[in-house]
Amino acid sequence: MNIVVLVKSAVDEAELKADQSGHPVLKGAATKMSAFDMNGVEEAVKLKEKNGGTVIVLTLGGPEAKKAIKEAMAMGGTKAVHVLAEAADAPDSLGTAYCLAQAIKRIGAVDLVVSSEGASDTYQGEVGAMVAEFLDLPFIAYAKKVETDGVKVRCEQGLRGTVRVLEARLPAVVSVVSEANVPRYPTLLQVMVAGKKAIEDVPIASLKGPDYPDTGTVVVDVSVQSASRKRVIFDGTPEEAARKLAGALKQEGVL
Amino acid sequence: MTGAVLSYSESPDLAGEVAAAGQEVAKMLGAEAVSLELDEVSPGLLTANKVVLVKGELPLEAIADSAAAGILELVKARGFGALLIAETRFGTIVAAKVAARLRVGSLGKGKKLRVDEGRLVIERDVYGGRFTATVASRLPCVAVVQAGAYEAADASPGPAESVAVTVGEPKVAITQTKQGQQGEAGIKSALKIVSAGRGFARKEDLVIAQDLASALGASLGCSRPLSSDLGWMGEEAHIGLTGAYVHPQLYVAIGISGQLQHVAGIKDSKVIVAINKDAHAPIFQVADYGIVGDLYEVVPALTKALKQG
Amino acid sequence: MKIFGAEQERTLGSLYGAEAAEVYSALLRSLSVVLEEEVAPLSLALDEGKEGISRPRRVLFDQGLCKLPHPAEFGGMDIPFGVYALAMELAGAADASTAMSLGIHNTVADAVSRFGSPEQKKRFLPALLSGKKLAAFALTEPTSGSDARAMHTTAAREGRHYVIEGSKMFITNAGEADLYLVFAATGDGHGAFLVEGTNPGLKVGKPLKEKLGMRASHTAEVRLAKCKVPEDSLLGKEGAGFEQAKQLLDSSRIVMGMICVGIARVAYAEALAYAKGRDLFGKKLSDMQLTREKVANAAMETNASRLLCMHAARLKESGKPYSSEAAQGKVLATESAARTCDAAIQLLGGYGYTSADVHRHWRDARLLTIGEGASEVLRLLIASQELEKEP
Ligand SMILES: Cc1cc2nc3c(=O)[nH]c(=O)nc-3n(C[C@H](O)[C@H](O)[C@H](O)COP(=O)(O)OP(=O)(O)OC[C@H]3O[C@@H](n4cnc5c(N)ncnc54)[C@H](O)[C@@H]3O)c2cc1C
Ligand SMILES: Cc1cc2nc3c(=O)[nH]c(=O)nc-3n(C[C@H](O)[C@H](O)[C@H](O)COP(=O)(O)OP(=O)(O)OC[C@H]3O[C@@H](n4cnc5c(N)ncnc54)[C@H](O)[C@@H]3O)c2cc1C
Repeated sequence: MNIVVLVKSAVDEAELKADQSGHPVLKGAATKMSAFDMNGVEEAVKLKEKNGGTVIVLTLGGPEAKKAIKEAMAMGGTKAVHVLAEAADAPDSLGTAYCLAQAIKRIGAVDLVVSSEGASDTYQGEVGAMVAEFLDLPFIAYAKKVETDGVKVRCEQGLRGTVRVLEARLPAVVSVVSEANVPRYPTLLQVMVAGKKAIEDVPIASLKGPDYPDTGTVVVDVSVQSASRKRVIFDGTPEEAARKLAGALKQEGVL
Repeated sequence: MTGAVLSYSESPDLAGEVAAAGQEVAKMLGAEAVSLELDEVSPGLLTANKVVLVKGELPLEAIADSAAAGILELVKARGFGALLIAETRFGTIVAAKVAARLRVGSLGKGKKLRVDEGRLVIERDVYGGRFTATVASRLPCVAVVQAGAYEAADASPGPAESVAVTVGEPKVAITQTKQGQQGEAGIKSALKIVSAGRGFARKEDLVIAQDLASALGASLGCSRPLSSDLGWMGEEAHIGLTGAYVHPQLYVAIGISGQLQHVAGIKDSKVIVAINKDAHAPIFQVADYGIVGDLYEVVPALTKALKQG
Repeated sequence: MKIFGAEQERTLGSLYGAEAAEVYSALLRSLSVVLEEEVAPLSLALDEGKEGISRPRRVLFDQGLCKLPHPAEFGGMDIPFGVYALAMELAGAADASTAMSLGIHNTVADAVSRFGSPEQKKRFLPALLSGKKLAAFALTEPTSGSDARAMHTTAAREGRHYVIEGSKMFITNAGEADLYLVFAATGDGHGAFLVEGTNPGLKVGKPLKEKLGMRASHTAEVRLAKCKVPEDSLLGKEGAGFEQAKQLLDSSRIVMGMICVGIARVAYAEALAYAKGRDLFGKKLSDMQLTREKVANAAMETNASRLLCMHAARLKESGKPYSSEAAQGKVLATESAARTCDAAIQLLGGYGYTSADVHRHWRDARLLTIGEGASEVLRLLIASQELEKEP
């Protein structure tokens, strides 16, 4: 069974700094594998361990994305394809999905594509669904349990307070949520071995056909948010503090 | 003339809000605002927009495939100026599918929609909600509207125009439906919210939060680990970047550390209260009022104080 | 605090060159994730005795921390010693007790790797590197520590066996270990013996519970009474034991120094965060000049310690003499860690004195100016090498 897992290298939001004018300092900013993609990789590797086959790590991103790719390889990826796009040609979500779909077509016989619910930096959560559309494959979103017998894929999906079991024929695209699994920590030996595996680089331009969707979607500005709150701490015994708090809430008129 | 601005919500609670967003964008475009309803008109829908009820040979809202197909059928027949979808997980998938099929831009989840030189512009949280990205896309395009960003009109809709579509078999089949953990209905529009985090040691202890919520007349929400990892509450009950964006008058965070992603969802609250035993917990940085202490002592005391008036 | 931060990445870059540093950074970054998520959160509970050391130690064994510097042939990874030393800095930042327990364990693995026969290596190394077996290093005695050569424990040959008699004091991992490296006098010198924990002649005393710091590590007396071991338990040659101990301690001191660098970094990071947020006299504590002196000293001493230890590690890697540099690194790192942790308590004021999360760093660091060569002894070692040098 050939499984492609989509892995994004995301800016580490906790480390990201703003410059004087409030814009993020993206140049040289720390990056890491997008948090939820670890669940995607884990699921793909688990399925491989159960059903045999390969896990192909597929990433679109700049050169810094190699780090995330290697992390995914250390977790059990068999090989990796890196669609190289410098920050300046980073496509929007639809363009990203198009390129990933093209790359998947080139990989050839793919039974299952695994993505995650969204990237930890931009959290748009649409790429998996869009890849499915470009490949004209069934898509199961927000899966918290994934099983396959090599013919069909069956997932549990939690939406609107119900858990539904959804089924689709392979090949298919599935996006998993973080509750699907607990990502493994690769051992140091696995990290070392993964570091030596070859990564196939594919320039993004080579994937763009005449049907590339140019939607004119652009990021106009990114600015730091600021919030000012009162930050009053009430002390005393729990009862005293509670009474003071109740008083303050009354004052605020929010009771 | 520009095609109509369509709005759609899978959740009846948000249908009025997203219709209001549609109304605003339509005005800027000089287009008609249309509330799309699938299968049936949302009960209690408040909007002055024209309502179009789309029905298929199968229930469209059973699965995102069918919902997207239903909307696509309508759009193909009539064109559209923009499609605005209310934020739910289901809505996000529908937005992605429609955008991909139509090869139009998708702006993601945000607020403050405006039209600028033939483009739709949205402001959305990025980098864990620490930054706002302003994103623009050529019209027509698709956007997801953050809960609480718009207020439903105080108007009852006129009679709906019914449109029948044929969507075909979805590629995904539902083989079983089980009752899951219920989330608090309507958390996205609640006026008061009591929210529980990992500070609660056991699921049973949530009654402490529930008691406070009852005393306040508040809804109960939670941080992501409680719904996603522990399964103590419904998956869509969690508040934050990947869950609900809320905008209550009062938000009480109990045993929640206040990580970026959680805080992203509560920024529009009027008053934020934090109860946490760790004085250094980041939640206190974004709270108006705080008590440093053990929730097992503080929360019952607060419930009591509130009951005594 | 990021356990593997820019400072560590830069150190790797400057010492190993960009290409190799990238590989080592990936290793240490991966290790740091596990340390941050699985070990550091336990550290306070470990200090308070609410959590046992076997759990974080298991996690790090499974990660392969102890495999790093050892030969691939026996399940190791052939990673340069300095990278391992840096890994131990990270481990020390996550939890000092766990790091020390593993560091000492790995010194025994080092002993087998350097001095063991092919059979001994095959028999013990894979199990030690994977953590299937835990080891203890038994040199100190109730009546001899710094002056280890004065040991009273003896090993007498009886046919194809040795019989060990004596007592070892303050032994880390005692009671938990499956294998003890016991140093004993053998008539014409000293020998190092691999004694199984199940040997009926080996008895472990009550754990020493009143330790100032390093509380999660187990420390106890090990008594050897008619402890009969097969002759192939001897590591290397009879008579070489003391020289072996010296060589093992030379490299172990680098590790202990680096653990202290890790301890100092955590205390420093916590104090810095506090100073930036604490308002007094209309300013932030971090804006006071006297605070800034503390900050600058902590940064300088921590970096200097790391670099001196890493310098010793690089000398070791290239096969050059390094015992003085290792001693220098350890003295500087352990003493400055104690100073930095002390300054952290000072900066946090009453909170520093009353919170275990602050003062435990000082308590932990404090051991290492005594253990594995007290500062005084190491200064004598350094000075004697200096005095021997050509002017
Ligand atoms: C891409 C991404 C998206 C995410 N999206 C979301 C999201 O939408 N929403 C969300 O919530 N999280 C989200 N998270 C997770 C988020 O980063 C945090 O892990 C999560 O919010 C932490 O939940 P918590 O505060 O309940 O738990 P913790 O961080 O574990 O905090 C528990 C708090 O309880 C306090 N406490 C413990 N015991 C007591 C007691 N007896 N009395 C008082 N206080 C006590 C502790 O001091 C601590 O501050 C996301 C993470 C990622 C990577
Ligand atoms: C928690 C803990 C764990 C330990 N783990 C181990 C272990 O796993 N294996 C092991 O073999 N040992 C271990 N030790 C023992 C440790 O190595 C010794 O305590 C150390 O070598 C000092 O020996 P001593 O305690 O006998 O002190 P002594 O040798 O009696 O020295 C006492 C003090 O005298 C001073 N001093 C020593 N020599 C000189 C000198 N030449 N000039 C001036 N002053 C001097 C120093 O300040 C020293 O601290 C451990 C100790 C502790 C506390």
